[in-house]
Amino acid sequence: MTLHRLAIAGLLALVCTAPTVAAADAGVTRTRLDNGLTVIVRENPVAPVVAVALLVRMGTRWETPQTAGLSNFLHAVMVKGTAKRGGQELAEAVAALGGKMSAAGDVDYSGIQAAALARFWRELLGLTAELALEPRLAPEEVDREREWLLGRVQRRRDNAPSRAFDEYYATLYGAHPYAIPALGTTESLKRIDRAAIVAAYRTFYRPERMALAVSGQVSASEVLAEARRLFGGMTAGTSAADPPLPPPSNAGRRVVLEQVANQTQIVAGGLAPSLTQPDHAAAKVLSTVLGGGMAGRLFVELRDKSALAYTATSYYDPVREPGTLTLYLGTAPANAARAEEALVREIRRVQTQPVSDEELRRAKAYVLGRYAMDRRTNDRQAWYLAFYELEGAGLSYPERFRHDVEAVTVADVQRAATTYLAPLTTVVLGPRAPR
Amino acid sequence: MRSRRLRSCTAVLALPILLAACGALRSSPPRAAGATAAVPAPARQVLGNGVVLIVQEHRAADVVAVQLWMRVGGRDESADELGLSHYLEHMLFKGTPTRPPGSIDALLEGLGGTSNAFTSYDYTHFDVVVPAADLGAAMDVLADISVNASFDPTELESEKKVVFEEMNLVEDDPEKFLTRRLGEIAYAPHPYGRPILGTRELVKSLDRPRLAAYYHKHYVPRNMALVVVGPVVTADVRAQAERSFGRLQGAAAERASSPAIPSLAGGRRDDVTRPEQQAYLGMAWDGAAARGNADIFAVDLLTYILGDGPTSRLNQTLRERLGLVATIDASYVTREQSGIVSVTARLDAANLERAEAAVLDVLRGIRASGVTEAERARAVITAESNYAFDVETAEGLAKSYGTAETTSSLEDELQYLARLRETTAAQIQAAAQKYFGDDNYARVRFVPGAR
Repeated sequence: MTLHRLAIAGLLALVCTAPTVAAADAGVTRTRLDNGLTVIVRENPVAPVVAVALLVRMGTRWETPQTAGLSNFLHAVMVKGTAKRGGQELAEAVAALGGKMSAAGDVDYSGIQAAALARFWRELLGLTAELALEPRLAPEEVDREREWLLGRVQRRRDNAPSRAFDEYYATLYGAHPYAIPALGTTESLKRIDRAAIVAAYRTFYRPERMALAVSGQVSASEVLAEARRLFGGMTAGTSAADPPLPPPSNAGRRVVLEQVANQTQIVAGGLAPSLTQPDHAAAKVLSTVLGGGMAGRLFVELRDKSALAYTATSYYDPVREPGTLTLYLGTAPANAARAEEALVREIRRVQTQPVSDEELRRAKAYVLGRYAMDRRTNDRQAWYLAFYELEGAGLSYPERFRHDVEAVTVADVQRAATTYLAPLTTVVLGPRAPR
Repeated sequence: MRSRRLRSCTAVLALPILLAACGALRSSPPRAAGATAAVPAPARQVLGNGVVLIVQEHRAADVVAVQLWMRVGGRDESADELGLSHYLEHMLFKGTPTRPPGSIDALLEGLGGTSNAFTSYDYTHFDVVVPAADLGAAMDVLADISVNASFDPTELESEKKVVFEEMNLVEDDPEKFLTRRLGEIAYAPHPYGRPILGTRELVKSLDRPRLAAYYHKHYVPRNMALVVVGPVVTADVRAQAERSFGRLQGAAAERASSPAIPSLAGGRRDDVTRPEQQAYLGMAWDGAAARGNADIFAVDLLTYILGDGPTSRLNQTLRERLGLVATIDASYVTREQSGIVSVTARLDAANLERAEAAVLDVLRGIRASGVTEAERARAVITAESNYAFDVETAEGLAKSYGTAETTSSLEDELQYLARLRETTAAQIQAAAQKYFGDDNYARVRFVPGAR
């Protein structure tokens, strides 16, 4: 479950690290096979491990309220068996490599991520291909996974932060499919049958929609040759360009919901640039000024100085179409009203007063430092390489992003604040206010 | 497949202070450098004042991990000191006479670095990652806060609300709360069964003199271990450590001895009504302790075989075959004086009794017939793999050394994989017979219902 919109389910942790970037990579090769599949390999001798990410352009962006969760459902069933072996044998085969393998659906992409001891790289790539090319999609597994996913939907509703974020996305994006939870809904999961899952697999698992990235203690030429052998036989699809979606319109609504819990969740924000838009770096720096780390304004003002919130942070989720810049507070119910006021005050402040040069410098160092930290493991490297490929950002993106961040000015931050944090969509989720 | 690494802390790295609670959840014994490690052995030295310095050259990236490990934690607290170790963890990065509140965070983040801290029962841990060129700055900060923390009264007072919120957060999260509750039930009255965060009453009444007294008693050079991992030269690090940590003074009191770990013979039971729709089952057995117990290798492998990932016995039996649970895991948490093997499951309340019986059945099967060679070999590969993924980052490696230094020993850590590989299927069966009985476990159940 490393794919990031789903990870919000857990503890909101991966989201803030996912979409940032860093230095150019030595030792990365990128090849497009004749059938359109892109293969990217990063040779990294540091540790005796290897990681694989096989991502495909498929996700909630292509779903409707009726098919919500279809991409993730497909991937949940995929790992339960291939033409060659059942789910248990598959799991045993992966475990025998000291490996892990997961598959999940997300917003702009879905796919398979795997890792193992480096000496088993060939076996790991073989199992990844088997999963991607010959999934069994057995009817009984569809039913079992549906039950399991329904349990997860229920559990996600029980988890106050996850539910607050789901409600926020739904409110912010309205009719745009980014409003759809990647996990789906109880209604949609009950409706999706095996035929729908098989059809989705056939439509989306096409080489021209896919990127395979491998990072670790491997040889690029050997990996490429093996990838060609495994995936070269895939037939190119005829998938036309994705139809454009109506742009989401942020109506700036405020929604209050009740849930039994010790904490109140406050989620507020607006639409923000996508990864490849010029303002991406400015929005990233703005997000960091407000909610990046313990020196971010929300943490300093709301947590450190006034203890109005326990968690006070921001997330910038630059998906392909309009992303979102989101501010998040977890607070005691008795403090919720004052915490929300303070949050709005901080937004007004960054919109009306320029940030100091020192604050800007800190925010930039923080963005670039975090980015460098996040890309040290092979798991993350493989994911980033495949993700950038599918988002159309390209291999040089890290260097470009670094440059763009360094170029952000005080005026850029203020402009980003007035552009992307207005109007404000807000969700407040907590126990009934104490009288 | 939803395979799972045993490191339960990694999921919450973005919420720094959550790590405080996470320390108590650490769920794997130390994993050590074996044949797979692409790094040289660490150098362990002791400075003149007793500070232990562990340095590892690790040229994976241009960042260095600098970690201060204090030999003080929840188990050192008397009944009226509960939560003080953890409260110190919150207060130290807040400042010293020369570093006003907020300036340490601003300094580290302004270098593009990160800081974290967490509290466990055996240790308290402060963790900084910075660009390699800023090693000196990071070390100076850690040395300063280790003896000069100011405990600004306003900061001290306002941090209480933060700790209360942290308590709420643990109590709201069924999995976190289950782990905590299971520890309380299994260990009481040993200090390992006490709340790391303290109680609301004690935190409410906490004042500066009491916190400062606890700090000055425990934060002395002889209780400190400094771990540095990154693209560094050992001699340079030693010189820098001499200039900062080497100058600290203070005498250590003997670490108070804790009572014996209680026996779970006869079983301990607790049911809790919770607002979640699904039920939770937790069962915990007394395993082998981290320090000086050769059984840890067999218990560790047994835990992998029981509950690590979809091929494990519990997953195959309870989730796949019987359909009794939505998820089931086993984890082995070693502390200096104890080990605890926990089996936790999320399930429908109607299946609680049958699931518990099925877990006991699985254990009975292993006691009677042992494990297969294939299971043993796979568990070893999993352990090797977990280690290999840990040493991808400087802080991961530093953390394994710091944990070993404060709960077992660096030598044990370095031999860990080799010892694991030597462990036989017969030894695993013997461990099952020695530690896992039908009626020597603590059980906690969360039952749905209005709170």
